[in-house]
Amino acid sequence: MTSRSTSPFAPGQIAIHLALAAGAVFMLLPFWLMIRAALTPEAEIFSGNMLTLGTVTLDNFRRVFAEVPIIRYYLNGIFVVVAIFLGQIVICVPAAYALARLHFAGRELSLWIVLGALMIPYQVTAIPVYVILAQFGLIDTRSALILPFVANAFGVFLLRQFFLAIPGSVFEAARLDGAGAFHMLFSVVLPMARPALVTFGIFSFVSHWNDYFWPSFVLRSDAAATIPFGIVRFLDAELGSDYGPQMAAATLAVLPLLAGFLLAQRQFINGIAMSAGQVE
Amino acid sequence: MTIVVDDAAILAEPSRPLPRRWLSRRLEPYVFVSPLLVLIGIFVLAPGLLTVVLMFFNVDILAGTWKFTGSRNIQQAIGRGEIANSIMVTIQYALLTVPASMVLGLLVALGINGLRVGGSFWRAAYFLPVAATLVAMSIVWRWMFLARRGLVDQTVGKWMGLTDWLNSSDLSLPAVAIVGNWQQIGFVAIVYLAGLAGVPKHLLEAARIDGASAWHRFWHVTWPALGPATVFAAVISSIQALRIFDTIATMTKGGPAGSSETLTYLLWKRGIYYFDIGGGAVVTVVLLAFALLATWIQKRASRRLERAGSR
Repeated sequence: MTSRSTSPFAPGQIAIHLALAAGAVFMLLPFWLMIRAALTPEAEIFSGNMLTLGTVTLDNFRRVFAEVPIIRYYLNGIFVVVAIFLGQIVICVPAAYALARLHFAGRELSLWIVLGALMIPYQVTAIPVYVILAQFGLIDTRSALILPFVANAFGVFLLRQFFLAIPGSVFEAARLDGAGAFHMLFSVVLPMARPALVTFGIFSFVSHWNDYFWPSFVLRSDAAATIPFGIVRFLDAELGSDYGPQMAAATLAVLPLLAGFLLAQRQFINGIAMSAGQVE
Repeated sequence: MTIVVDDAAILAEPSRPLPRRWLSRRLEPYVFVSPLLVLIGIFVLAPGLLTVVLMFFNVDILAGTWKFTGSRNIQQAIGRGEIANSIMVTIQYALLTVPASMVLGLLVALGINGLRVGGSFWRAAYFLPVAATLVAMSIVWRWMFLARRGLVDQTVGKWMGLTDWLNSSDLSLPAVAIVGNWQQIGFVAIVYLAGLAGVPKHLLEAARIDGASAWHRFWHVTWPALGPATVFAAVISSIQALRIFDTIATMTKGGPAGSSETLTYLLWKRGIYYFDIGGGAVVTVVLLAFALLATWIQKRASRRLERAGSR
């Protein structure tokens, strides 16, 4: 707002920094408390002022690795998230391309179906989808975590907008050269969609890595558990009031995404802000 | 649907032999679109219809039996009073999170937008809760709200006498709402920062030259230009309030005595915890009604904004 030559050290500027810092204490305090407790010996967690770091230990992390199958949760999480995204590419990119650039009878209807699906939050389909998956014996499997999310109406919508913004002549030229359908997809459409896929990919990875709602519908054991489901299940069962290990487990759960966020801030913010577009 | 295979008719290029392809140009779009439509049919459209059917049945998943029970599920849901309670709790939760996170998010965005240096640092700090796994952070908040020994009881509890939030039917929902705000503020701030980038600079400059105070510049120039961002942030926050599950499930389990049992949590409790599929379907229909209402309000608000903009 201050387009005049205000110094970064003007009183107004300092005041804004101070106000933002005060608010940031509230935003960052839980993170600090979590890390602090995770590194503090069990006996000292509630002693002292609870804010400063005293004796540092890795015992809490050792206990988590010894008692919680956290490596399995990580692997399950990675498997599920990657499988969902690969499925989304295979299903959504061709469909979005066809809806944007090919002419065929039924295109209008297909578009309406996609837009209709966009308006329904997935919480609303949870019970019936659970019933359908149960009929096929898929409860408590990783497939149950993957299949419902492969056809993502939002992804199709977004990619279609992206393809519409590319001049049609680019696609026409390739087609007139006699490129077959799959050649066209892999060597023309897919490479062009890369920027949109990066943003959509981050959105997809983050939302499914963090998801707790759907796993708590279709999972029963920790065989297929991802991080959020596994952690909660284990904490409630095994680490009831051992707050040190609890905080260590929470730290391990939060770590991958926070690291990703700090490394690729801009893409992360774009990707997560896109989840907002889901209701547009 | 009849599909005629005639490549040559579409691509009349006699000088060169046409490459043979096993997929005709007529068929191509359908091959591309049908997997998507089939999956949407299975996982969105069929479930939508199935929900309506399930409302009238007593389903036993394990035994695989479906028993038609008429409107009994609906009568029971109303009779237990839990639906009415959950609708009230969800509305209360929305009232505790939507306005507060929007005002605070706007203030954060205005602050960051007004900075000469260091804006991206603060943006990252405020966005951190959005990127963090909410269920893990709920475990941290649950520990902070721990009775007597937790940070909240040690500080706020001692100063204001508000203790043991998670086991109090008056304070459990506010406790969850604090976490909701904590997570939502950074998100709203990002939406408003994008909106602020689109505020016409020349208007602000003109107002400044005319001697308008900072408040007047905000109220007459910035705020009207933020209209779309405000609608957007309001709808997102409301939908978020409708979806809230992770914090409730880890911090209060809907309790005590249903005082923090939102619709989405009730959906899980009915359908999965009590294994009452029909009862869960009734909750689903209520949830769907709210979701459609939110979409409808958004459409109306954006249309009104567009009309105002074209005046």
